[in-house]
Amino acid sequence: MSSPDTSPAAGGQPEQAKSEGPKEGFLLTSSPHTFSDSSTKKIMYLVVATLLPATVFSVTLFGTSVLLLYVIGVAVAMATEAVTKIVRKRSWHSALDGSAVITGLLLVMTLPPTVSPIAVAVGAFVAIFIGKEVFGGLGANIFNPALVGRAFLAAAYPVSMTTWKNPARLFGFLGTPVDATTSATPLAAAKFDHTFAPLLNMLIGQTGGSIGETSALLLALGGIVLLILGIIRWPIVVSFLGSVFVLGEIFHLANPAAYPSGLFEVLAGGMMLGAFYMATDMVTSPYTDKGGVIFGIGAGVLVIIIRLFGGYPEGVMYAILLMNAVTPIINRFVNSKTFGRRPDKAEAKQ
Amino acid sequence: MRTVTFRKGVHPRYHKSNTSGEAIEKVPTPNTLLLPLLQHLGAPSKLIKDKGESVSVGEAVCNVGGRISARVHSPVAGTVRRIIQKPLPGGRMADYMEITVDKDATESHSWEEQSVDLSKIDREAIISKVVEAGIVGMGGATFPTHVKYAPPSTQPIDTFVVNGAECEPYLTCDHRLMIERTAAIVGAVRLLHRAYDFKGIYFGVEENKPDALVAFQAALADFPELPAKVVPLEVKYPQGAEKMLIYAATGRVVPAGGLPLDIGVIVSNVATLNAVYEAFYLNKPLVDRVVTVSGDGIRNPKNLLVPLGTPFEHLVEAAGGVKDATAKVVVGGPMMGVAVPTLDYSVMKGTSGVLFLTQKDVPEETPCIKCGKCVRVCPMNLMPLKLAAYAKAGKFLEAKELGVADCFECGSCAFGCPAKIRIVAWVRYAKNYIRVKGI
Repeated sequence: MSSPDTSPAAGGQPEQAKSEGPKEGFLLTSSPHTFSDSSTKKIMYLVVATLLPATVFSVTLFGTSVLLLYVIGVAVAMATEAVTKIVRKRSWHSALDGSAVITGLLLVMTLPPTVSPIAVAVGAFVAIFIGKEVFGGLGANIFNPALVGRAFLAAAYPVSMTTWKNPARLFGFLGTPVDATTSATPLAAAKFDHTFAPLLNMLIGQTGGSIGETSALLLALGGIVLLILGIIRWPIVVSFLGSVFVLGEIFHLANPAAYPSGLFEVLAGGMMLGAFYMATDMVTSPYTDKGGVIFGIGAGVLVIIIRLFGGYPEGVMYAILLMNAVTPIINRFVNSKTFGRRPDKAEAKQ
Repeated sequence: MRTVTFRKGVHPRYHKSNTSGEAIEKVPTPNTLLLPLLQHLGAPSKLIKDKGESVSVGEAVCNVGGRISARVHSPVAGTVRRIIQKPLPGGRMADYMEITVDKDATESHSWEEQSVDLSKIDREAIISKVVEAGIVGMGGATFPTHVKYAPPSTQPIDTFVVNGAECEPYLTCDHRLMIERTAAIVGAVRLLHRAYDFKGIYFGVEENKPDALVAFQAALADFPELPAKVVPLEVKYPQGAEKMLIYAATGRVVPAGGLPLDIGVIVSNVATLNAVYEAFYLNKPLVDRVVTVSGDGIRNPKNLLVPLGTPFEHLVEAAGGVKDATAKVVVGGPMMGVAVPTLDYSVMKGTSGVLFLTQKDVPEETPCIKCGKCVRVCPMNLMPLKLAAYAKAGKFLEAKELGVADCFECGSCAFGCPAKIRIVAWVRYAKNYIRVKGI
């Protein structure tokens, strides 16, 4: 175990102190020398795990055809990342870090159940390539990649992106009878016909809508698990859901015939998926709690404006994308206050 | 137990049970000491002994070399074989005095107990004794203690905090001192109280050391005149950082860039207080300390009382030897300690531990995902991810404006970072750059 000493000595005098340990010396690294168990990979796959109940539920609602869509979405997302990394002469292993899996899953969850597999593949490619890798990969992207993919598809496949199918009826004793194979989403019905779907149906996924966003309940449960685990943070979730609820309720009270209730707004469309899984995307949302609140309120206001006064029945996607765009500004100006630093800097020096 | 604490921080694994039950063990004096002559923060000490001269136990070999400086004493009797230059842990070069130990003379020497007339104790007496004994902060920062104890005359001091937090994983040297030298620590506090007449004295101990809390409680019962309070602290890192401890114990906030003195507080680590006690009651300068030798890579983890200048080889021998699995040797705790490439170093005034760690893999660094974990754990409420990013990008002015100088490198950010970004290393880089270039 002993090796010749290699430390420098004065005047060229060799030191005779001996050293134990490996010949090449012990590891020389900067402090700290111990790390927490958390890792990016762990975070990503925990997010995936909490999405699975809603994913499985969506397969039972819309049939095994959507299972194929999930597989395509995730596979294309991962493949796109791997290939891009190889072309850029970087390690392709980042494709396995779970973030591409989330992007693929989330993208499919936001699409109508009747969308074509080709569209899913195109969307997943755009999500990863344009949404993430063009910026430099994970951590460098400005916009939520899944939403970039979805926004692209909304423009490229306008018809199939707005064709909805009713879910299978799981609970015969609940909800309104469903006859038609195609139907409007609750948001479209509310916006254009001023008819409001029952809240309970929206909660448990018994309404038309995107593949994975119909069950508000399962998405909220998964999100709450993430909140408890500390993977997502309450400021964005609460301020986003809260501002949508409050604003929705205000308009509802002002004109109950035209506008649905605040609770309706919270349960409808992509709100739960957006609030728990998209607005909270670490990379594209502010990293301070204060910044998170600004982000959440901003997104909430945009959702209500788009839903009630915009051209689209649903506004979660654009609301989050727009807030993604201002996140760098929020991060620049919302800084934490150093411990012991007083607001008046002159005062600190007495 | 009702505990107090600071905001934020992290919970590393503690590994303290390796050595918390091991009584302090005195190790036979080594044949040769390699005594570093720069063992404190501040101006280097002035060498007063030359090659070939003989030294006796406790004799000064270095005098103070400036206002912020400290004396160094020989812990042994022997002969100065030579003065050499070698790196300190961390790489800074320093003079070392190689002393050939006269074992008989060293082991026959004993420190005479002497009585101290409390009525004669004032600030000057404390400061001159502390300077004479070469005492520095033994919690790791090694700031000369006399500077801490000599506030400007315009600055009222009303509070004293005993730092027994010992929040670094593995380390138990302070824990053992608190149990085994309770009376000495309290005795030192009595001396200081006599000189400063504190309004409040807080014994801050993390609650994972209940025996130390009980020991202080019992020892203080004999001195009702002390305005002292034993404060159980939440087990959280970095609870023992001066500013965090003061906040937890007293609720006071040290201004950014300021010192505890600015808010009327003095903090001393328990090992430092033990040294102050020994300086007064044994007339003994700071020549030895307790070192926790621990980690999975050492056969018999121990708390060893050794002379300063004891080579690490000697510690290893006393602790049963190093296992082959040892991958890294850390001087200090695993959060703030310094890794050394060989065992060719020796114990200094601030060497609280020597850890033999077996973790071979250096965790792979992945891109920052801006999760903000570092922001949520930083006890100084800084934005570590921005500091690291600015340092990487060479934007030192921006790093400075965000308070990079306020970082005391506790490592909570890098510990918690899921991307394993070496935030502390980048912060250190930025600080050095700013200091050298005068940004």
